[in-house]
Amino acid sequence: MLKGSTLQGCIESVPSAYPLTLKTIMVAVLALLLALVALYVISRKALTTRGNIYLLVGLPDGGKTTIFSALTFNQALPSHMSLQANSSNVTASSGKTVRVVDIPGHPRIRDQFREHLQDLRGIMFVVDSNSVSRNGAAVAEHLHLILDAVTSIPPSQTPPHVLIVAHKADMLKAATSSTASETAVTRVRGALERELEKRRVTQAQGVGMDGLGEEGDRVEMGGLETVSGKGPFKFTEWEGGDITFVGSFVRAGEKDDEKQQNGISALQDWIAESS
Amino acid sequence: MLDHCSISHKGGFVLWSRSFTPEVAQTASSSSSPVNSLIRDALIEGRNADDKYDKDGYTVKWTFVNDLELIFVVAYQRILQLTYVEDLLAAIKTLFMKLYEPFLTTFVESVHAISNGKVAGKDSAVSWNFAEAFKNWDTVFDKLLRNFEEKAAQERKSRYRTAAPKALVSDSTPPSDDASTIPSAALPQDEQAIARTHQALKSRLRARGGARGGRRGVARMDSESGRDSVHSSDTETGKKKTKTKVQRKWGDQVPTEEDMASLDFSSDKPNDAGNIGSHDLQALVDQASLGTRTNDGLYEVKDWEFDSQTDEADDVIARTMGSQVAEQSKGSLGALGSFFARFTGSKVLTEEDLKPALEGMKQHLMKKNVAKNIADKVCEGVGESLVGKKLGFQTTGNAVRTALSTSITRILTPKTSTDLLLSIRTKLSTPVPSAQQRMPYSITFVGVNGVGKSTNLSKVCFWLIQNGFRVLIAACDTFRSGAVEQLRVHVRNLGMLGVNGATNSKGRVELFERGYGKDAAGIAKEAIAYGKDNDFDVVLIDTAGRMQDNEPLMRALAKLVAVNNPDRIIFVGEALVGNEAVDQLTKFDRALRDFSSASGAGKGRGIDGMLVTKWDTVDDKVGAALSMTYVTGQPIFFVGCGQTYTDLRQLRVGNVVKAILSD
Repeated sequence: MLKGSTLQGCIESVPSAYPLTLKTIMVAVLALLLALVALYVISRKALTTRGNIYLLVGLPDGGKTTIFSALTFNQALPSHMSLQANSSNVTASSGKTVRVVDIPGHPRIRDQFREHLQDLRGIMFVVDSNSVSRNGAAVAEHLHLILDAVTSIPPSQTPPHVLIVAHKADMLKAATSSTASETAVTRVRGALERELEKRRVTQAQGVGMDGLGEEGDRVEMGGLETVSGKGPFKFTEWEGGDITFVGSFVRAGEKDDEKQQNGISALQDWIAESS
Repeated sequence: MLDHCSISHKGGFVLWSRSFTPEVAQTASSSSSPVNSLIRDALIEGRNADDKYDKDGYTVKWTFVNDLELIFVVAYQRILQLTYVEDLLAAIKTLFMKLYEPFLTTFVESVHAISNGKVAGKDSAVSWNFAEAFKNWDTVFDKLLRNFEEKAAQERKSRYRTAAPKALVSDSTPPSDDASTIPSAALPQDEQAIARTHQALKSRLRARGGARGGRRGVARMDSESGRDSVHSSDTETGKKKTKTKVQRKWGDQVPTEEDMASLDFSSDKPNDAGNIGSHDLQALVDQASLGTRTNDGLYEVKDWEFDSQTDEADDVIARTMGSQVAEQSKGSLGALGSFFARFTGSKVLTEEDLKPALEGMKQHLMKKNVAKNIADKVCEGVGESLVGKKLGFQTTGNAVRTALSTSITRILTPKTSTDLLLSIRTKLSTPVPSAQQRMPYSITFVGVNGVGKSTNLSKVCFWLIQNGFRVLIAACDTFRSGAVEQLRVHVRNLGMLGVNGATNSKGRVELFERGYGKDAAGIAKEAIAYGKDNDFDVVLIDTAGRMQDNEPLMRALAKLVAVNNPDRIIFVGEALVGNEAVDQLTKFDRALRDFSSASGAGKGRGIDGMLVTKWDTVDDKVGAALSMTYVTGQPIFFVGCGQTYTDLRQLRVGNVVKAILSD
């Protein structure tokens, strides 16, 4: 509004042999300043606004869609393998509204998670704690991709929180000394650290295909560096930030009841805490 | 008849499903269920243009509703030749959409939150009880399914009847009060004649009494079927308008005697023009009662307990079909409507809209050296995924281009790990029983003649040596003269090249040769044994090139695979290949699978991955990569792109997609 009027003033003043009065100049400068301040405020706001997207990632058949429906609809809907991403707004118990996006786990389409990296607040990596000892290598490969993406996020952006969900904990036989979810967490953590260490060693020793020739851009997968820079890979020493573990379970097809609430309550607490 | 039927959202939510056998019900929630396999192996691989998918003895058919992102799936035993499944799917789709569209729209919205939208889930959480929402659907589905199954049963019976007419009489139920069918049970040969005279007589009487043109057929049906007359006369006016629709859904019954009579133009029937419609109308109006009657005139007992529900369901079906046709005629407002729809961004893509764009894309893909039928299938798949979608504010061409790019990316992205180094290290570090020595990791290179198997084998060898492995090359090409010498030269060269500062890598690479004319499988076996004893990490097996149609040679190759069970079988193909790529790969894969399983090694082994050679010669015509990955579904491990040992690359999916789509 202000700017428009000054412009008009300028145009009007042109024919009369530069009668640029002090007033016109002052108004113009003022308008310019105002615009600059507004721009600065807006851009700063955009910079400081942290994303509010929580991603659900992990191998297929891990339980991502079920967790998604438990979070959004308060009930576990039956599901099969997803062909596309689901997303929904969820109010965390802290009162904040966050957006949960469920990314399909099939290797051919799981790269969709990269579309959300800009507004990322948290990543929930869902692992089926029953089969992790069998297909640990595949899980680790996917986790490696995720960790690589997380570490390559530009430093201007707040790094996302990473949560590893040891899902389907109720199918495990709990040890006498600990609960089922603790057993699940220990198992998942152990298997993943082992597999990621293998990947780290291979990468440290190996010469990549593109490293053979002199020319060509060399793109290596990173994301597995520890703080100390050596030694077996431990989640506690990962340089990209903190990684939290929780155990959880949801039974598909069951209505909202006491037991199921307990199943993902740790996960919900984590969202509330980190949002 | 059917084993499983489900309706689900593309995001993974199952809206409604039913398993008809306990086996399917058991696997329904596991990853090996027919639906999950279908999605994993067909839909995500971009094969959604195929019309069916076979898995574990099941045949699975499916159809999409793209704007609501729904998938309808039907699975049945493969040995059953169910002809009605496609019609059933189409009918389910139409009905389901009509009945539950508002509910579905809100559900789909709830799983597509826009960033600043309100919280969708919590307030409406109660309504996502699918069992409650689709309560009525069970009855409708039952009715629909029964209609189709009975129709199929009639067809089958009529086929068997000519061979053994008596056999059917024993399992038939008591005939009803229909006059024309009583004699027919006893005298099948005469029934047609009787029915025909009966019909001719009736029509003559009607004509004399001033019949009401096109309604004659209906009136006749009413008099015959009796109990359903109210219902049929209710719907009849709607049906007259909707002749085309009607023919597609319900008009494909096996001709009954009445049909034959009405089609019989030899006897003199007045007013033939008005009679044409009677065939369709009859099949339609008589839905409820025809279902109980076989075409040979025998009656089956009707399920009375379902009756009220059935009528209701019938009514729903009839009403929905009627309204659908009305809408179709309304929708065809012409070019003006679509013109405005485009401006408001609500244009829905139809097959006609997509045709030119898809045709253009197909030509483009073929120019990029994609095999013709692969280009066909990919474009068809893209079309399938776009029909019915809302266009928004982009042009059709843009929409197709985006969808094609996603589809190609999806096809080229590997679904298994391509990290060969990790795989080798994992195998070598796996603990073995103390009495045994660890087996070396073996890789077999197969392919047609002259594509560069030996050359690229030596490049892979160089890369492995650089990574600190000890490599043994097995010269199993015992046919082409000079093949062994070629490898010997490579080994000598590689031995002289240094690794990590060392002046040479002697002892890191060796050649295992047994001259010419010997059995390749035996040489490979010896080579692996030698590698095991001498602590080699990797054995690379070079095989003779062979044409994919040469069965004896393919059998020999399969024997080599079956005997030695290599860790990886890599197919070497050249980037120059066009349509031939499909044939080569399918035949190699199939021959390996068939012949190696036949020789007793259990489940057949197929190709594990590809190596594409001569990549540097094709510029941006990289279509062969797409053809190859589409055919096998396996990843491209390496790309050979030059004359030196270092000219081995990994495929960058992004770059290939860009090259294929570039003009």
